[in-house]
Formats: sequence, structure tokens, C-alpha cells
Amino acid sequence: MFTLENIMFKKTFIGLGLSASMLLFSGCVVDNNHGTKTAVDGGMKYEIKDGKYTSYHVNTQKIDTYNKGRIATKTEIAAWDRDTRPDGTGLPMYDMKHGKPVLDDNGEKVIAEGSVGLGNELYDAQCAMCHGDFGAGGVGGYPALSGGDIKSLSNQLQNPADEMPNQTPPAKRIGSYWPYASTLFWYIQDSMPFPHPKSLSNSETYAIAAYLLMENGIKVEGEEMDEDFVMNREQFLKIKMPNEKGFYPNVDTPEDPKKGVQNITNFLGDPKNYGTGTRCMSDCIKGEIPLLRIKNELNNFNPPVSTKRDLPDAKTAETVKAGQVEYENSCSACHGNAAIGAPVVGDKNAWAQVTAKGLDKVYHNAINGINGMPPKGGNMDLSDEDMKTIIDYMITSSK
Amino acid sequence: MHRYQNFQGEDMDKDSKMSEEVKSLSTDKKITSRRDFFKKTAVYSASLVATSAALSPMKAIASDDPAIINDVEWGTKLGDKVTKFRYGVPSPYEHNNVRRNDPLLSSGDEYATVTMCPIHESEGIITPNGLFFTRDHGGTAHVDPEQFRLMIHGKVKKDVVLTLQQLKRYPSVTRTYFIECPANGSTDWRAPQYNNLQFLKGMMSSAQWTGVLLKTVLEDIGLEADAVWMLAEGSDNAGNPRTIPVEKALDDAMLVWGQNGEALRPEQGYPVRLLVPGWEGNLNTKWLKRLEFSDKPWHSKEETSKYTMLQKSGKAIRYFWINEVNSVITSPCPEKPWTDLKKGDVVEIEGIAWSGHGTIKHVDITFDGGDNWVEASLKGLVLPKSWTRFSYILKWDGKPLLLSSRAVDDIDNVQPTIDQETTAVGVESVYHRNANVTWEITEKGEVHNVHIRKHHV
Repeated sequence: MFTLENIMFKKTFIGLGLSASMLLFSGCVVDNNHGTKTAVDGGMKYEIKDGKYTSYHVNTQKIDTYNKGRIATKTEIAAWDRDTRPDGTGLPMYDMKHGKPVLDDNGEKVIAEGSVGLGNELYDAQCAMCHGDFGAGGVGGYPALSGGDIKSLSNQLQNPADEMPNQTPPAKRIGSYWPYASTLFWYIQDSMPFPHPKSLSNSETYAIAAYLLMENGIKVEGEEMDEDFVMNREQFLKIKMPNEKGFYPNVDTPEDPKKGVQNITNFLGDPKNYGTGTRCMSDCIKGEIPLLRIKNELNNFNPPVSTKRDLPDAKTAETVKAGQVEYENSCSACHGNAAIGAPVVGDKNAWAQVTAKGLDKVYHNAINGINGMPPKGGNMDLSDEDMKTIIDYMITSSK
Repeated sequence: MHRYQNFQGEDMDKDSKMSEEVKSLSTDKKITSRRDFFKKTAVYSASLVATSAALSPMKAIASDDPAIINDVEWGTKLGDKVTKFRYGVPSPYEHNNVRRNDPLLSSGDEYATVTMCPIHESEGIITPNGLFFTRDHGGTAHVDPEQFRLMIHGKVKKDVVLTLQQLKRYPSVTRTYFIECPANGSTDWRAPQYNNLQFLKGMMSSAQWTGVLLKTVLEDIGLEADAVWMLAEGSDNAGNPRTIPVEKALDDAMLVWGQNGEALRPEQGYPVRLLVPGWEGNLNTKWLKRLEFSDKPWHSKEETSKYTMLQKSGKAIRYFWINEVNSVITSPCPEKPWTDLKKGDVVEIEGIAWSGHGTIKHVDITFDGGDNWVEASLKGLVLPKSWTRFSYILKWDGKPLLLSSRAVDDIDNVQPTIDQETTAVGVESVYHRNANVTWEITEKGEVHNVHIRKHHV
């Protein structure tokens, strides 16, 4: 290998010599942009020097306080602070609404709890149309949620570095991959169901989480969950996920919170951990150049690729039709995706079959649910009249 | 069945057979002679340009050019009124310069997916706001700025709520930074799949951002001594909560409301997003509503089930924040080939280099698949954690090339070869792929995405 040190490029040779000698004196890499290798990501940290931050001029006036904004109320914080952490921080005791506990008829706080059986019902009504029955198969590209094997995580599909490339890819599912159950509760509660998140109560979230954990074979204190098992904060904290130790660097360092950050800094500061090049300049590859061309090209581009400079085809002006916005917000996740199995808007044949039943029947089914579709597609904020407008739009768009 | 991996790390099937062949580029003899040429090119490129006119003299055409001889329509009548577009739009002739998507790279819909920036058409180091790549997890939210609230709470001296107007009263700074999704280029972990720069590297863009340094706000409010981690959360339907260390928040992180001289676009988080220079695009929380401080990290869905890098051991790297040193040649590329060139033509090879770890220091390029390298020139502004342009002027001999670039940043991290990267992290990482991109240039000037890798099937 003929490395840079040997090369007679004047410019680069001087540059390298300079940084190498500074390394010797200061113990860290210094460049001409006021930087040192002390950033938390193991990279360069730049400081303001002579009124400049790297190439940017800055205002360096010293101000003690700006005193902007106002103090947040406890209820406001409770309304927004709904994150959940592995140690149980944020995992709710009660059903909550607008930052306050929900009260029952006797004025008592409603305990947040839900059974696996309830979770199964909710899952079938609101989740299965995308994530498949039992979470076993993502429909139309949506993620599968169960059925992973932790042993598969070390599979490398056709890794050129391996002598025996594996043909089975790793399966990163809830039970096989996710390190903490708290993440599941938080994600369902905050971001699911996909078309109308934040619609599930804490009790319903416990129920769905319990159902998914059961489908993933997760046990509570060694016991399998059955349909009658009731999940709540106390039970949830007993859950240990099989792949909890499957991640590094270690960031959970309660004895010294800064240690976890330092572990990452150390990891990212050494590029050998994730692959680094060498600045070889000549004769770098011994023998033949190992060339691999595309065998299976992906080219389903939308719109098709073109670099032509011409006038576009004249298109009719698009106007928003009645029901279109509601359709796109609440229905298109399923009815715009052929893989889900619902009649796709624009598919003349599919909608001819639907409307052959008579319009009243179509309205009835959409409002009350049919096959994999829950009542009103799961969005109970829609009125019956809204549903009729949406269906009229879907039918008109499919003629 | 061809199994491939989409950018979310899901394994997908495609009806085709996976049986890549390894081919030797050419005989040693050929390479040796080309090597000599490159060495000369490296040393004498400046004089080559000076003498290029003499080497390929210009010729006159047989008949006059109608584009000159005839009067043109736009020169012989009134144009548009200056008031026609109160917000200007690109020339209609530029209608192909748009973001594109591939349905295979989505969760079956166009809400939780990505559109790719047309970086083959990018000029300089700024992406126009309408072409900036977009990645949503639950669709693009449209936030009413009057109802925007930013809550900052947890291990702070006081829990604070700011309106947009109050936030904008902090002193502002304007900086140029790239944002890159760490899944950029992830379809190439196992083999080359896209013959297209936009889809290979278009999950990134660069802009001039205006906002307040998070440090300014946090010093005003005051942090507790054990505030080590910060959670940022959006107000959109996915929220996309992510954890970053306070050290980064107090370094160069910003709360931005301006993008290239105007308000953020809705796709970029209007009215306010978090900007975490150089780090994973997913950390730059859009439609920001909440910052919470703590002594413990959060382990959100996007830092456990996703945005973690599975290794050969079966263990995964987490909190891999930075986008590493990287580069790609943008001209030529599969969309912008050399098919208009003839033997002996002088042509500029141009590209983009970037590093989340710092500032680009060198870019080298190779014409023979990485056997021999020469240093390219950096061009224009060279700023930390920004796109940096590089340039090399070549007199093309009309012969096939294996053209690639290699960037070095100011902590002397060097962009790896494919083999150097996969030896370290395997091929199931999904995220943070920064290996060399190689274009095969054919005699006709066509450009193809190829891999230089030891790959035995």
C-alpha cells in the first residue's frame, strides 16, 4: 500500500504534518476552524473565538436573562407529559383526560387496567387490518408485530464477510427485539391507531399492549398470560423483555447519569467500531478489482425519472371535492392500499361490486363495520352524515 | 425470491433471483496503463485544461441554428405581469426537478414514508425549500402558529411555556447545515439495487436555518445539575419522541423557524423544529411542542425498534447519533451521464461531501474503482456539518471508468470502502451506511451504480 505519507502532493503533505505536530503538543486534534475533538459524538467541538464561530460572525454581547414565556401549570404538564420509561416513570395508574384523572360515578379515580381479552377485541377492530391477525403479518407493508425469534438476530443475509451467507434475515419483532415493554405502551398510546392516534384510553392501551405481549410469548413473572389476565401498572412493571441486553453502548447508568453518555462518546469517537477508511493513494487493491453490478434493479419511481427540460402535459385543475379531506384523513390508509384487501378507491370493478348491494347497505356497512373494517373505520368522531359524504366521494371517484 | 431490505429495515420480497456475480474489471495490463494515465492526469490536469482547445478544435456547423436565426416567442411579446405570481414558482420547463418516492420504501401508504431529494439536480450547498427531502411518520401536520406552544420542563429551574412570538424574541443565528436520514443509501447494504442517485442518496438535503441556539434558551431557563438527557417531542400525530444528551443541546443544537430565508415549510415542521446539526435526521423533531429534561434516557420506539444497528453478534448499536463522513459524485451520475461527451472532451466531475463529525478537509477521487486516488479541490464555502462541494476537471479519454469519491473530515475520519464497512458492522445495520459510491462509466458515457466489494455467493 502506498499511503499518503509517501506521496509528493505538497498541499496535502503540509496539511498532514501540521495536524500531526499539533496532536503531539495538545493531545487532541486541532484545525484552523477553532475546533477540538471534544464533542459528545466524538467529533469536533467548535468554540466562538475572536467574534467568530468557525466561518460565522456572531454577536457576543453578554446578557444575563431574557425571561421569556410563562410558568407551565401542573395540569398542562400532565396533559402533555405522557411518555413512559423502562423504570416505570410515566406508566399511568389511572385513566386520564385533559391532564386529570378520570372519575367514576362515586368520584373515585378510575384505575387504568385492561384484560388480554379486551386487547384482542380492540386489536381485531382497530389494528388487524394493517398488522394482520395476531400481529403475525404486516398487511400492505405495515410492520409485523409478533413471530420473531431472538436467535435470528445474528443472521446476516448474504454478508460478504461470512463464508456461509445466511438466507434467513433477522426478525426484529416486539418479542424478539424490543428491549423494553414501556416503549410499547408509550408508542401505542401516543401514535396508534395509525389514522387516529391518541384515541385510546390508558386502560385500552394496557389491554392492547397485554394482548401483543401475549402473542409474542412474553410472560409475567414466569406465568403465561391468558384471555382473563388483567394488565395494569403493577403487572406491567414485572415484565422483562428477552432482548433487554441486546443493545450497546450501555446508557442506563443510574449511579452516574453522565456515564451512559460517556459510553456513547467513547464508542462514536472510535470509527473502528463502525468502519473507517484509510487514505491510501495508490496500488490500494491487490489483484483484481472485485466488481458487483446490479442484478435486481429497483425502479418503481413515482413520478418516473426524467431530466428533460420541456413543458409538462396540461392537466385539469384539481379541486377538492366534498368528503375528500375526510377520506384522506380517516379512510385512505386502508382504501388507498390494494394490499390491505379493502376496495381501493379508483378500482371500478371492486366498487361496482360494493354498490351492487344498494347504497343504503353500503352506508350501513361503513357506519357499522364489515369484515376487517371497524365501525366508521375506527374513527368514531365521524358522524353518520360525514360517513355518507365520504362514501359518496369514494363511489364517485371509482366510476 | 429476491429478498431486499427497505429503509425501515423491513425485509421485503421481490420475485426475482438473487445471484450477483463477481466480475473482474479488466486485465492487469489495462489497469496498469490506465494507472499511468491517472497519475499524469493528477499532476498535469491544470495544463490539460489550458491546452484543451488546441486538442479538440471547435468546428462550424453546416447550416445556421434556427434558435439564433428565428425570433423567439418570448422575445417578441409581453411577458407575464410582475404581479402574476405573488409567490414565485419554478419555470414550467423544470417540472421534472421534483421529489420522488418509491412505494416499496413505505409502510404501504404515503403518510409514513419518504420522498427523495433530486440531488442530481442540486446546485451549490442549499436545497430549495420545495425540493428538501421529506420523511413523515403520520403525514404532514399543519400547525396553527397562533396555537403553537413550546413546553420546557423536567429537570429545569422553572417549567416554562413559550408562544411562537416569545420564542422568536430570543436573539437568532443563521447557519447552514445538512439534514440526512441515517437510512440514506440503506438499500445498498447487501448489493446495489438502485441505478439512480436520487434514490441512492436523496434522503438528505441542506439548508440555511434561522432560529435560536437551544443553549441560549436553556441558559435563560436554567438546568438542574443532573439534567443529562433531553426528550424532544412533536405535536403531530406520530410525535416522534427522541432523546439527545444535554451536552449536544448546549453545543450547536437550535430551535429553528426559518429555512432559506422564509418560514419553515410544513413538511419540515412549521412553525418550529429542533435542529441537531450533523446527527440523524430523525432527531430533528418537526412540529416541536415539548422538551423534557431528565437524568435518564427515554428509549422511545425510534431508538429501540428502529434507528438501532443490528450487528453480526446479534446485538445492536443504539444511540448512534452522528451521520459519519461521506461523499458522492453527483456529476456524472446515472441520471446525468456523459452520453453527450466524446473522446478528448474536458469535463468537470463534481460532488457533495459531508460529515456530522465536523468539517470536510479533503476529498479524493478514483477512476479505477479505488486502486489509485487523486485529491479533488474543495469548492465554495467549507462549513461544519454542511454539504461541501468538490470538483475535479478531467480530460476523458473515452474509455470506461470506475469513478468514486472518498471524503476525509477534520478529525481525520476517512470514508470507508464497502468491505471496510461491512467487515466492521455486517450488512444488517439498516442505518448509517457511508461506504464509497462507485459509478461505472461505459464507453458510451452511460453511468451505472456498482459495488467494489469482495462478494462471493
